[in-house]
Amino acid sequence: MSQFIPVLQSVVNGEQLAAWEQVEPPLRAQLKEALAPGSVPECVVQPNTPAQLAAVVKQLYQEKGRSLSFGSGSKLHWGGLAQGVQVGISTAQLNQLIDHAAGDLTVTAQAGMRLADLQAHLAQQNQFLPLNPSYGDAATLGGIIATADSGSLRHRYGGVRDLLIGITFVRADGEIAKAGGRVVKNVAGYDLMKLFTGSWGTLGILSEVTFRVYPLPEASKTLVLSGGLEAIARVTQALLASALTPTAVELVAAPTMQQLGQDGLGLVVQFQGLAVALDAQTAQLRQFGQAAGITATVHTDAAEATLWKRLAEQWEAIAPSPALTCKIGVWPNQAAATLAKITALYPSLTYGAIHAGSGLGQLRFDADLPSASSLLDLRRLCEAQGGFLSLLAAPTDLKQQLDPWGYPGNALELMRGIKQQFDPDALLSPGRFVGGI
Amino acid sequence: MLTLNKPSQRDWTPILREFDAILGDSGVIRRKEELLVYECDGLTSYKRRPAVVVLPRTTEQVAAVIQACDRHQVPFVGRGAGTGLSGGALPVEDCVLIVTARMNQILEVDLDNQRVVVQPGVINNWVTQAVSGAGFYYAPDPSSQIICSIGGNVAENSGGVHCLKYGVTVNHVLGLKVVTAAGEIVDLGSKIPEMPGYDLTGVFVGSEGTLGIATEITLRILKAPETIRVLLADFSSVEAAGQTVSDIIGAGIVPGGMEMMDNFSINAVEDVVGTNCYPRDAEAILLIELDGSEVEVDTNTRRVEALCRQNGARNITAASDLEERLTLWKGRKAAFAAMGRISPDYYVQDGVIPRTKLQYVLQEIEALSQKHGYRVANVFHAGDGNLHPLILYNNAIPGELEKVEELGGDILKLCVKVGGSISGEHGIGADKRCYMPEMFSAADLDTMQYIRSVFNPRGLANPGKIFPTPKTCGEAAKSVAADSFPTVERF
Repeated sequence: MSQFIPVLQSVVNGEQLAAWEQVEPPLRAQLKEALAPGSVPECVVQPNTPAQLAAVVKQLYQEKGRSLSFGSGSKLHWGGLAQGVQVGISTAQLNQLIDHAAGDLTVTAQAGMRLADLQAHLAQQNQFLPLNPSYGDAATLGGIIATADSGSLRHRYGGVRDLLIGITFVRADGEIAKAGGRVVKNVAGYDLMKLFTGSWGTLGILSEVTFRVYPLPEASKTLVLSGGLEAIARVTQALLASALTPTAVELVAAPTMQQLGQDGLGLVVQFQGLAVALDAQTAQLRQFGQAAGITATVHTDAAEATLWKRLAEQWEAIAPSPALTCKIGVWPNQAAATLAKITALYPSLTYGAIHAGSGLGQLRFDADLPSASSLLDLRRLCEAQGGFLSLLAAPTDLKQQLDPWGYPGNALELMRGIKQQFDPDALLSPGRFVGGI
Repeated sequence: MLTLNKPSQRDWTPILREFDAILGDSGVIRRKEELLVYECDGLTSYKRRPAVVVLPRTTEQVAAVIQACDRHQVPFVGRGAGTGLSGGALPVEDCVLIVTARMNQILEVDLDNQRVVVQPGVINNWVTQAVSGAGFYYAPDPSSQIICSIGGNVAENSGGVHCLKYGVTVNHVLGLKVVTAAGEIVDLGSKIPEMPGYDLTGVFVGSEGTLGIATEITLRILKAPETIRVLLADFSSVEAAGQTVSDIIGAGIVPGGMEMMDNFSINAVEDVVGTNCYPRDAEAILLIELDGSEVEVDTNTRRVEALCRQNGARNITAASDLEERLTLWKGRKAAFAAMGRISPDYYVQDGVIPRTKLQYVLQEIEALSQKHGYRVANVFHAGDGNLHPLILYNNAIPGELEKVEELGGDILKLCVKVGGSISGEHGIGADKRCYMPEMFSAADLDTMQYIRSVFNPRGLANPGKIFPTPKTCGEAAKSVAADSFPTVERF
């Protein structure tokens, strides 16, 4: 019995609509990882204009149809399990570049555009969007915003929230609304860009987004240091307290360093900018290393790209499955110690990294995955350092045993109130977010 | 100037009794003459006396006051130092004004984590003073930074000259303790960014007191750059200066700050401040601040100088030590005050344009200036396209204020027409709410109201600000920023 296919056929063409059984198997598998067991959506729809997206959402609103929105689907296996989803909405066809205003350092694109495609456009004008999130080849702008997923470059450029300056979105009732604008400085109206960043599709579906962009750096170098906890912590603190201006400062857990052929806790530091300025910066960091008895190895050009690629691959690898991944936060000055402690306590940790400046990090476990109660201990450990632990990817039964989010604060009622206002019938990605939102 | 008070319709006795119990006698101000200073903020052309002013010291006191307001259905308005330029702290009819001046403690300095936790009444540059010994600073630097409060900066999402490279207030606030308009104390964010859940910190910053009052603010501090250099270049046309700005950005250089002044502003500054560093015959000057490592600054200095000369710059002066740098900045920082000296009144506008539209917009502003018959001086943050046109007029002449407001409104509409914004850093407040529909559709504004209805369900927190209503936009306060803080520079 199909309820939604006939309704959606009135607003999209046949080839944009696939009944569940006709959805490509890989996408079907990805979608299943985002869904609570027991039901599958009736269909997946791919609108190709913002107006069509609005029409789809309006139809579903009238029918009280619950949807799950996604871009390329690269992070569908992350986050909470959506409940009772009837329609999947892919924004992948909303992939047009609207305007790259190079002289104004802004770019506007449809939300389903892939970051990699956007970067290729920007590079023609020697600019880039300083985000290096997970699954950088597949990830779409909308998905990156919805999950607030940034990478090592956040040290210099901030997170997604700091770069997003305008959004247009389709509300739960199918109305199109916007906030912000296309200029880098703008305080008119509430900052819904911040609200939508990391909202996991629960407040509306992004159709068009504007980012602030930056000039591509002229040159780049990455230094790798590894050693004992005390030495690495000392170098990190010296670096952060110095006037050096790295673009990335990553503390890396020992098992991850081992894969790179190095022993001990790692510190991976990237400097980018004028070629002439990099030597002085790297020399200073080497001195910090020497003072702590550590030698730094320098990576440039292809070797540098390979190093970062290998780190990303360890984080993103599909096999061996099933993996468990987490996003964590701890006080920055406790980051090195926390990483060392987690490594000692959890032998199945394969990837661990914390951005030293912000205290945000990522953990991955393979093979003997920690149990729910063991993860709860780990969450408490992070909370004791002022932070949190959220599950990203995890076996479905684990996500059902343990609240994936672990929001430790006291503003949940406000968050529920906001969801209630934006989406009173809980039609948009229901159950995906904090507190069952 | 308009005074907007009507006789109070309310019996304040039971409410005042509660306030006395919460705050003690010295924390409650109700005598008319003592209330005078609270009638307006930095937007002085409209004034309204609050019914009562309260001066809490703690989060709990703020919560108790707001709970009392909620019980008695009394509107309240928050106020920091009162330097805001958009009337965000303009009292509303028969309201309680909650002034955070006594909440002036720096609660925690955590250098290891590069965080500082403050109460809202802490003055902006106290934060930098508290950490500069260790080589750190707090980046957002509105020009009123020696008197404006962090609470006010949070409310308005204040900027400053260094926004181009370092961002505005919201990029430096990680967490807030907030009393909502319903009187509940909640913690938003923390010392660590991106805690699970919606980014309510990000929404609260810039909400102009309409969601509640922030009582603790966790700020990110930065390490001071190794080297700072200011370049002053003068040009024989505004176009050449504008082209230079474009070329600098095009060359991949992001200066710490990049400011432009036109000939009218230059002469006003020289008349009044007499720095003798801005050539009177220049059509425009650029002030370009470069920061970073010494090698980086040296290299970029050479590149910027070459770009300036390529566009016909006549003289380029560079300054590296603090005193010389301050001398070069002095005229720019005194530009608003200088207008106050050469004209009885001036109206400062705050609009943003895509910087590449600068030449067109300046021509249009000149045309509007001639059409309306008022002189307009242009001082602006050229790097990010944030214009501050200053319209000179005489408020003593009846009807002038209204005409100048119309000209100011036309400039805002022009900013929106070219793809910009009606405010870059001063906020909407009471001043520009009626221009919100120029930028946002009814659906956009309705959606923003979703947030307000959650934090502020009864509409008691700073009613009538930011959002247009038929009533307010028919009659109420519009603006002129006259000089209520004559000794303080403003942007």
